Amino acid sequence: MTSLSEDEAVAPRVADQAGPARAAGAALLCPSCQSPVASSERFCEACGADLGPQPAAVAADAPVAEAPAPAAPQAAAAACHECGGEVAADGYCTQCGAAAANARHHFTEQPAPWVAAVCDRGVRHVRNEDAVALAAGPHAGGHAVLVVCDGVSSSTDSDVASLAAARAARDLLAGGPRIGNTDSVGTRVAASTKALVLAADAANDAVVAATTAGPGNPASCTFVAAVIDGKELTVGWVGDSRAYWLPESGAPRLLTVDDSFAAEQIANGVPRADAESGPQAHAITRWLGTDAPDHTPRTVSLDLDGPGWLLVCSDGLWNYCSEAQDLAGVVAAQTRSAGSEPLALAGALVDWANARGGQDNITVALARVGAGPPHSTAGTTRPIAVSSPEPVPSREEVQTDGNILS
Amino acid sequence: MATFSADVYQNEFLPDGGTDVHAIVTVACSGAGEAGRSGSGDAAEIVIVDTSGSMSGENIAAVQVAASAALDQVLDGVWFAVVAGSNQAWLAYPQDGRSAMVQMNATTRAQAKAAVAGFRAQGGTAMGTWLTLATRLFAAVPSATQRHAILLTDGYNQHESPEQLSAAIEAARGRFQCDCRGVGSAWQVAEVRRIATALLGSVDLIAQPQAMAADFEQIMRQSMGRGVADAAVRVWAPQGSQVLFVRQVSPTVEDLTTRRQEVNALTAAYPTGAWGDESRDYHVAVRLPAKAVGQEQLAARVQVALGDEVVAQGLVKAMWSNDDTLTTRIDPAVAHYTGQAELAEAIQDGLAAKAAGDTDTATVKLGRAVQLAEETGNEEATTRLRKIVEIEDAGTGTVRLKRSVSKLDEMALDTASTKTTRVKK
Repeated sequence: MTSLSEDEAVAPRVADQAGPARAAGAALLCPSCQSPVASSERFCEACGADLGPQPAAVAADAPVAEAPAPAAPQAAAAACHECGGEVAADGYCTQCGAAAANARHHFTEQPAPWVAAVCDRGVRHVRNEDAVALAAGPHAGGHAVLVVCDGVSSSTDSDVASLAAARAARDLLAGGPRIGNTDSVGTRVAASTKALVLAADAANDAVVAATTAGPGNPASCTFVAAVIDGKELTVGWVGDSRAYWLPESGAPRLLTVDDSFAAEQIANGVPRADAESGPQAHAITRWLGTDAPDHTPRTVSLDLDGPGWLLVCSDGLWNYCSEAQDLAGVVAAQTRSAGSEPLALAGALVDWANARGGQDNITVALARVGAGPPHSTAGTTRPIAVSSPEPVPSREEVQTDGNILS
Repeated sequence: MATFSADVYQNEFLPDGGTDVHAIVTVACSGAGEAGRSGSGDAAEIVIVDTSGSMSGENIAAVQVAASAALDQVLDGVWFAVVAGSNQAWLAYPQDGRSAMVQMNATTRAQAKAAVAGFRAQGGTAMGTWLTLATRLFAAVPSATQRHAILLTDGYNQHESPEQLSAAIEAARGRFQCDCRGVGSAWQVAEVRRIATALLGSVDLIAQPQAMAADFEQIMRQSMGRGVADAAVRVWAPQGSQVLFVRQVSPTVEDLTTRRQEVNALTAAYPTGAWGDESRDYHVAVRLPAKAVGQEQLAARVQVALGDEVVAQGLVKAMWSNDDTLTTRIDPAVAHYTGQAELAEAIQDGLAAKAAGDTDTATVKLGRAVQLAEETGNEEATTRLRKIVEIEDAGTGTVRLKRSVSKLDEMALDTASTKTTRVKK
């Protein structure tokens, strides 16, 4: 089902990273729902639970970052996390009835010290249909891939689909060819853009593969992928998950333009605050999935020549701080209390959104670009290209919206 | 080989601080096979008919036809007997002096029908003695794991005390199932219902003697189609919780709560008798200690057990949420059957109040019954209620008691009160 990328640069790594419970070769059960799972599967076909960490290396020849702590309990029969009683095959404690811990509800990734993400169910939703997948080289400012997908809640299995999509895209981007520093700007942008288009294809394939056959709403999700390669940042997206660049100095920027009804209204002059609180504020106009009219990502590239935060998130966060300036303020405030360690900061931002109601699933992925908070080096960040590969629906004219890449 | 399924219909979302979880569990059985032929033991049937003096004439003739029709439905190899009841119980068949049941075959069937043809109406009515004889006969056939009887009466239990009847019922409980029928209007629904409820059977009115044969035939055919001798519904509820009630809600309303048999500290079994290819709905209500918003937990495991083996399970869940759109929704199945159970209670209470001369209470209760029948789309109940009350406004339950009401119509409403309509899922 998972339709993993067979890319040679990735596949061997997957095997290498397999945890002991997988390598044992015995019949494996999903730690969340106890359904049988194959050792090659990364998440449960039945419930979508994460079956273990899959940190991807950035390239076959790059040193691999220390594997993070497992995000999911191992497949062995677990004791109840509430009362210590025995958890039955149906996934609930035989004594107190507590549901077995569901790793899908809250998980983190940190492939390298400078790149981290937290993905959380939020307060109001029953499932966590958000997903995140990261890859990073060990050295800050080297190479990193951050992918966030937000499952469309009206569709079935979108929690499974979003995770499959995020990981498929991450794997493809992490395993792709390095862009040589000697290449021209134009060549580098073209290569990055092509990689994002292929990543969206892989993510879309994964969503389609995760979709249950038969009638009903086919699984679907949003897509945003950000690739840092030295000073180059390239972002591609479909839907309303976002990427922001929050430099140490200079104006914070929203890099993406939502494929949403609200964004269309904004393009037509409706104030952002009004458009994003309207009745159809969360209706997206493009997505990944079987019924997606078009899943070609719109892309944007940036030259990062100063330190700052790259923040990739789902609407569970930006609902509470849509404007780049507002988000930068929240990040600054959380940095003061939680520090600037990326995983701690991502967790603090998720907690912040939950404290505001947690109306939706929340995903925050962060990459620290440049050194730790320095004094102003007055870096100028220069948009170098915006691309939108064919075919382009007419509504994508909003991509050149001046308030995005001013 | 019989297979069972258990499907749960509920709204698992509870508001902040919410404690009570309600669920409808549909238990379905397929591939049940035939009574005594599914490898889990023999089947045994006893036909118990009232041959008291009041039965003379049309009724005794109808009973002879009906008993004969029932015997025709009993499968070869099934153990059986015929009991004739008056102020004492007589073993009408077999009369070989051994006072024991025999297996059905062409010879015994012919002999039994000849014995039935010789019934004479005489004596009084002491149903406890009939049950006691049946209990003894069943006990003498240890190979029979599926034990069922039909009991027919036409009068009230005037020749023994209520205590004597209660003792006989208690001695029979768990030993056999008994479907009970009353013919005419001289028997008491509440009294016969007591027998049927304790012995996991149905109670119904046969208004006209000539309808008896078809009814007997149907009861016996249904019993022969029950290849699963004995199943129990088990309910597990978590530590610190309380099972508020367990109620069968379809095809009839039966409160099972008091039939609780402890399996272990957290699990109780509720006997449901024999099963054919059919489905029955159960309403389970559990009270939990409230958990924090966002928490999920299991409120009940509802299982079907054959002996010690659990053959199906449905999970009743609880999930605390502060999303009003989730927590305020009432599951349609729960709403429907809650209304149907209240309907049965309102009819029975209303008729009891009417019988006691309490017109005000009867009007209120039967008015509520009319309203509930309307709301839950139980047209059969509405039709029966219409014979007892004048309906002014079904929506508000405004009714007037009719001045003259047929006793049979009242009894028909009473016996049918527990029959429910299925919810449209």
